[in-house]
Amino acid sequence: MGKIPPAFRSTKLPIPLLHPPPSSSSSPPPHHSKPHPPFPKSRKPQPPRPSSSPSPSPLFSCPDITTALSLLSSPSPPSPSSILRSFISSGASLSSLLSLLPHLPSDRSTTDIAVRSLLSSSRLDDALSLVRHLSSDLSSSPDQFTFNSLIRHLSKSRPISSVYSFIEEMRLLPSGPKPNVVTYTILIDSVCRSGNLREATRLLSVLKDSGFKPDCYVYNVIMKGYCMLDACGEVMEVYNKMKDEGVEPDLVTYNTLVFGLSKAGMVDQAKKILNVMAGMGHFPDAVTYTSLMNGMCRKGDALGALRLLGEMEEKGCSPNECTYNTLLIGLCKAKYLDKGMVLYEVMTAGGMKVDSAAYSTFVRALCRANRVAEAYGVFDYALESKSLTEVTAYSALESSLKWLKKGTQTYEECYKNSNAN
Amino acid sequence: MVIARKAMAECPKKVASLIDLANLPTNLREFVGQSQISRLDFFIRVWSYIKANNLQDPSNKNLVNCDDKLKRILLGKPQVDLAELPMLIKLHFPKELKQ
Repeated sequence: MGKIPPAFRSTKLPIPLLHPPPSSSSSPPPHHSKPHPPFPKSRKPQPPRPSSSPSPSPLFSCPDITTALSLLSSPSPPSPSSILRSFISSGASLSSLLSLLPHLPSDRSTTDIAVRSLLSSSRLDDALSLVRHLSSDLSSSPDQFTFNSLIRHLSKSRPISSVYSFIEEMRLLPSGPKPNVVTYTILIDSVCRSGNLREATRLLSVLKDSGFKPDCYVYNVIMKGYCMLDACGEVMEVYNKMKDEGVEPDLVTYNTLVFGLSKAGMVDQAKKILNVMAGMGHFPDAVTYTSLMNGMCRKGDALGALRLLGEMEEKGCSPNECTYNTLLIGLCKAKYLDKGMVLYEVMTAGGMKVDSAAYSTFVRALCRANRVAEAYGVFDYALESKSLTEVTAYSALESSLKWLKKGTQTYEECYKNSNAN
Repeated sequence: MVIARKAMAECPKKVASLIDLANLPTNLREFVGQSQISRLDFFIRVWSYIKANNLQDPSNKNLVNCDDKLKRILLGKPQVDLAELPMLIKLHFPKELKQ
C-alpha cells in the first residue's frame, strides 16, 4: 500500500482544445481505460470551419501547384478548403504553400485550415513561419482559436520561454491575437505538467492583472497540477479559493478533488465531497467512484471498495474497465484472491481489457497462491483480448514464476546430462 | 516509478532475449518444424500444444503430463510443473556469449 497504482499515473492527458465535445461537464468518454483526474475538455466550440469533410480520395498524390490551380479553375472546383488541406497533407513545402495561398479566398478560415493542417502533420516550425508571414497581412492573421491551438502545440514541445516570446511577438503586431483565458489555461496546464507550480501561480496573477477572471477550467488545471506533483493535499485549498472567488465548480473539479484527496489518503474527506457534489446537482460518475475506490484500496479497505461498486451500480452508474482494474489490484493486494477471481470472471464475461498493472498484480498473486494454471489462463486472456503485448504479458508471467524459485541449477544439470547422453 | 518499472519490463536486452530468433538444436527443430524461433514464440507454441492435446493433469491443473513429443524437448521429464515451464524453455536458449 501507499503506492499509487500505475493505472493512475500513466494516464494520457486529454488535450483540451483540440477535442470536441464542448460540454465540459460530461464525464470523460468511456474509451479512456484509465481513471484520471479529469481536466477541462474543450471549453469553446471549434472555430468556424467550412463544413466540407476531407475528400474521400486525396486530391493530390504529390503537392503540385499547377494541379492545385487547375483544380481551382476547373468547372466544378472542390471547395478551396479541401484543396488546401489535401495540398498540405500531401507534403507541400512552405514556399509552394505560400504561392498557393494568394489564389484562395483570403480570410481567417483559410489561415486556420492551413495552420491546423500543418500542425496535424507535425510541422510546427512551418506553421510558425506561416503565421509570422501572414500576420503582417491584416485580413488573414490567425484568429483566437488558431492562435490557441498553435500555443498548445508549442508548449508541448518547446521550452516555455520560447512560447512566451512568441506570444509577445504576436501581441506587438497591430492585429495580432492577444492571449485570453484559454491561452492562459493552456500555459498554466503546460507549466503544471512540467512541475513548475510557482510559474503557474505567477501566471495566475498575470491573468488577473490583465483583467481576466479565472474560471473553473483554470482552477481545474491547477488542481490537476497539484495532483501530478504529489501534493494532493493542496487540492482542498484550491477548492476553497474557488469558493471564495465565487467560481462555480463543475464535475471535473469534483472529480479532480476526489482523485487528489484519495491519492493523498484522505478518503474520508473524499467521501464527504461525494455528498457535497450531489448537493450541487452533480452526480458522481465512474471516474469519481473509481478514484474513491483507488483511495480505499490503497488504505487497505478493498472490501469497502467492493461495496462501493455495488452502491454505484445501484445508483445507475455503470463501472468501466478502469474501475474493474482498480478493484482487481486492490483485492489482490489485500489478499482477497477469490473475490478477485470472481471480479476477473466478470471482466472476461464482459470482454473487458486488463491493464498491465492489474494483470501483473493478479498473475503474481495467483502464482504465489500456487494457482499457476489460472495464471496461465489470465495470460491467455490478456493475449486474446489484446490487452497487452505478448512481450509484456510473458515477462510479467515469467518474473512471477521466477519468484517461486524452483531450483534452477538442477535444471541446468539435467540439461547438460540430457545433452551428454 | 511507472516509467522505471516499464523500463525494466521493456529493457531492450531482456526484450531482445525474448524476441530474437535463435537457431534451434535438432530436437526443438522437430517440435516446431522450423529452424529458428524466438523464446517467446517457442513458449507460446509449447503452451498451446499442451492445451490442444489436453496434457494438463486432470486432478491438478498445475501439472503437465508430458507425451513423447513433449518429453523430447523438456529434458525427458514425465511430468512438469507449469511454474517451471519458462525456466525449462529458457535452457534451450542460452545467453549468447560476448564476442
